[in-house]
Amino acid sequence: MSTDAAKAPMSAADSDRKLGFYLTLPAQILVLFIALFPLLMQLYISLTDWSPLTGRGWWDAWAFWNTFGNYVELTVDARWWGALWRTVLVMLICVPAEFLLGLALATLFIDNFRGKRVFYSIILMPMMVVPAVAGYMFFMLFQSGGPINNIASALSGQNVAIAWLSNPNLAFVAVVVADIWQWTPLMFLILLAGLVGVPDDQLKAATLLGANWWQRFTTIMLPRMKGIIVIAVAIRLIENFKIFDTLYIMTAGGPGVATETISVYIYKLTTNDLAWGYVAAIALVILISLSIVLGIAISRQARAGEGAA
Amino acid sequence: MAAIEFRSVSKRFGKTMAVDDVSFRIEDGEFFCFFGPPLSGKSTILRLILGLERPDAGEILFDGRPVTEVGPAERNVAMVFQNLALFPHLTARGNVEFPLRERKVDAATMARRVAEVAEKLHIGHILNKLPAHLSGGERQRVAIARALVRDPVAYLMDDPISALDARLREETRVELKRIQTELGRTLIYVTHDQEEAMSIADRMAVLEAGRIRQIGTPTDVYDRPESDYVARLLGSPMINILEAVGEGPQVRLAGGAIALDGAAVPAGTVRVGVRPENLALREGSDATVYEVEPLGSFTVVTLTAGDERLRALLRGQPQVVPDSRVGLHVDPAKLHFFAEDGRRVAASAA
Amino acid sequence: MSSIHLKALTKSFGNFEAIKQMDLMVRDGEFLALLGPSGCGKSTTMNIIAGMEAPSTGRVFFDERDVSDVPMTRRGVGFVFQNYAIFTHMNVRANLAYGLRMRGVGPAEIDRRVAAIAEFLQLTPFLDQPSAKLSVNILQRLAIGRSAIVEPAIFLLDEPLSNVDAAFRAVMRTELKHLQRQFKQTMVYVTHDQLEAMTMADRIAVMDHGVLQQVGTPLEVYNNPANIFVARFIGSPGMNLVPATLVERDGALLADLGAAGASRPLEAGLAAAARAAGAREVWFGFRPEGVNLAADGQGLAVTITFLERIGSRTIVHFDAAGTAGKAVFENDVPLAAGTVAQLVPADALVRLFDRQSGLAIGGA
Repeated sequence: MSTDAAKAPMSAADSDRKLGFYLTLPAQILVLFIALFPLLMQLYISLTDWSPLTGRGWWDAWAFWNTFGNYVELTVDARWWGALWRTVLVMLICVPAEFLLGLALATLFIDNFRGKRVFYSIILMPMMVVPAVAGYMFFMLFQSGGPINNIASALSGQNVAIAWLSNPNLAFVAVVVADIWQWTPLMFLILLAGLVGVPDDQLKAATLLGANWWQRFTTIMLPRMKGIIVIAVAIRLIENFKIFDTLYIMTAGGPGVATETISVYIYKLTTNDLAWGYVAAIALVILISLSIVLGIAISRQARAGEGAA
Repeated sequence: MAAIEFRSVSKRFGKTMAVDDVSFRIEDGEFFCFFGPPLSGKSTILRLILGLERPDAGEILFDGRPVTEVGPAERNVAMVFQNLALFPHLTARGNVEFPLRERKVDAATMARRVAEVAEKLHIGHILNKLPAHLSGGERQRVAIARALVRDPVAYLMDDPISALDARLREETRVELKRIQTELGRTLIYVTHDQEEAMSIADRMAVLEAGRIRQIGTPTDVYDRPESDYVARLLGSPMINILEAVGEGPQVRLAGGAIALDGAAVPAGTVRVGVRPENLALREGSDATVYEVEPLGSFTVVTLTAGDERLRALLRGQPQVVPDSRVGLHVDPAKLHFFAEDGRRVAASAA
Repeated sequence: MSSIHLKALTKSFGNFEAIKQMDLMVRDGEFLALLGPSGCGKSTTMNIIAGMEAPSTGRVFFDERDVSDVPMTRRGVGFVFQNYAIFTHMNVRANLAYGLRMRGVGPAEIDRRVAAIAEFLQLTPFLDQPSAKLSVNILQRLAIGRSAIVEPAIFLLDEPLSNVDAAFRAVMRTELKHLQRQFKQTMVYVTHDQLEAMTMADRIAVMDHGVLQQVGTPLEVYNNPANIFVARFIGSPGMNLVPATLVERDGALLADLGAAGASRPLEAGLAAAARAAGAREVWFGFRPEGVNLAADGQGLAVTITFLERIGSRTIVHFDAAGTAGKAVFENDVPLAAGTVAQLVPADALVRLFDRQSGLAIGGA
């Protein structure tokens, strides 16, 4: 009695997988519901001119159908473009700064030194502060009579009373400083993990071949960290794009719209103007653009990852 | 106690046939070794015996009963892993007891089984120690004891000693053989080290890419390899496989460095195998000495003749000078003849 | 090429003495094997030569230069790691060129030298392939090439064949030895495998627990081990050592092995050395080969415990009055496990060691 090759029995591993699928099916359905349903709802609303001011529920939004009217309006919304531009500017300054600072700090932590654990905890602290609290903290720091000006006065001998948060450009600087303070530790953590993952004997081999510290850094450590760097930068770019809590508490997007980023603009549209249909359209546009960018970055990384070991 | 049998078993992973139409029968109490280069299917066969994989075709029988549908836990086959996988937080006793505890065996029986097994493996005096405090050899015996305590049908080892120092490997394999002989339990062993396989196995199966090329005692497989593949795998230094040129009265090997009487070479021979210990050096100019490796009790001489590299194994410490010319001599009775397809051609009764 | 001189070297890690006292001379152009079991200090010694570790005391000389304070980057030492440490994110060419790039050699010169060494090591077809997924065979040659291209005075190899499977290992050993002989490169090779050391080295330095046991050519170390550690460690299998008492009988000196019987009279030279040293309690040593089977009554009485047939020869395990030993015979030896046999070691191959100190009595 031999088994027919055509109906080969399932191996233990295969039947495990099937069981696993069925066991997690309820959770899969739930997650799908939680993720998919709001998305579809959003899509629906974005094609209408609905707002809660109309007095009807969201399911009646069809009554205010304007197809792609919101999307068209977006293309000529100057305030939107301004917010987008400011957001991009924030990203272009914050993320590279956080990256370089994080990398520099990480290189200091490769080897052991006395008090390493203590410094480690100190460096990580900013990340653990609630963003809103950080916002309030910097709000106070940057006051005309606040600590930053006081220290500057003490150091320069003159009376420094810069009105940081009332000056459009300086407010922008303050917001950037706050973000860098808060999120450099994250870059530090991720990049440190990457650095530590560089095989020690390859570094030794390089040293024996005559490479000094900088040469080892550029020819061995950085190339081997490509994957991690891409991930770290992608994560921060996406998060930074959405910058809100800290910034809003510090400046509420002001003075005027000097520090109004996309998230702030959306927040105002939602709570002040209640133009929810429009907001839904904006949110969808952002979602799609970010997904495309992230998708490209990750697939490039996946392909590059095949080569390096 | 059971004979383990495979009948035309095949297993495929994706596009590769990891195990290809394999049949064998391991008798009860045998020390059976699966030998072959990496990725030849040895570990897959172990997994099929254990029940961790199901064959795509063929049958697996224990004592004549098909076990293809029987899960790993019910097959009662125990595995000793290469890294031993001892539970570090349990004492040696705790480790050995573990399989019985799992099956909720009562305390009295458990103590008795543990004592029996501990006595057989001479670990009674270390039962209360933690693995971290045991030597490598002691840990290995605890791992074997744990495998034995369930009174398995057979126990399996997948390349358990390759990670050890050379000296320790030699000692440990003798130890493993001694334990198996004393216990009389079927031991199925996987290795890619030919000296190890030949030293410990009662019988061995030589594998190539998922197929069994030969099964036999180590002596069978070494003295009468059924193919040049098997001949190459066994023996150190490696056998010299030389193209046979010419027919009729004289057959020449290695660009003429060795001449054989044509009558002694059976028809269909394309290649001739000369084991290094059957290649002797004498005065002459057949070959050039490439390297001399003095190993104390014997000397390995690597020679170049024609386009070929040959190796000779000489007893003791003869004087051989690198880059000198020497003559070669082979014992015609000790040659191996192979056909075009690699199969052995029986020596003609001349 | 340089010679290497280690003077009065010690190295401790905290309380652990990795190297207790070492004076070692490696000659210019010599292939020296540092041989010993795990933890004997051989890798530490090599790291000190390379500059990866600093000794606790002692100095390191290359030729006449004291390099003890010269940092790793500038010692001009080629190093092949156990797992090769290939820069897997670069291709083969970039790996080979690395050392030259670090020295600021011009691109044209780099290309020329890379091509030359690739040709020599038969790496040319792989030059533009990524180095990550190549076979061990190629990786080894690449590791050697990468170090050799900067023409170091000294080459250090840390157990480079331990990751290679047994069949290949023999072939690679022959190749390495041949390479070294051609280039007369000063090489220090660390291994725990005595067969490997015997195969390749011009001289072997045997170490145990941080102490040099003996330094000599393979045959010197094999034929005249300085102490029982070397006697047991070298040889496949190692030397048999049976506790014995020296007795005078009929004007000749022989060894009484207790229940196993007495040996034949010791050779004149050995007997003279033993008498001069006043030796009585000894280890009676004889190598597993060169042992003959004797007729009843003669030779050492042993019980055969186990026969190990490995291809071209058979190793017979025996018990001589409580001491385990091995003898190597041809495959047709008429012995069986469980029986008793009489063994006669060849006179010229007998060695004696003092039971207290373990040191050899007399030299040959």
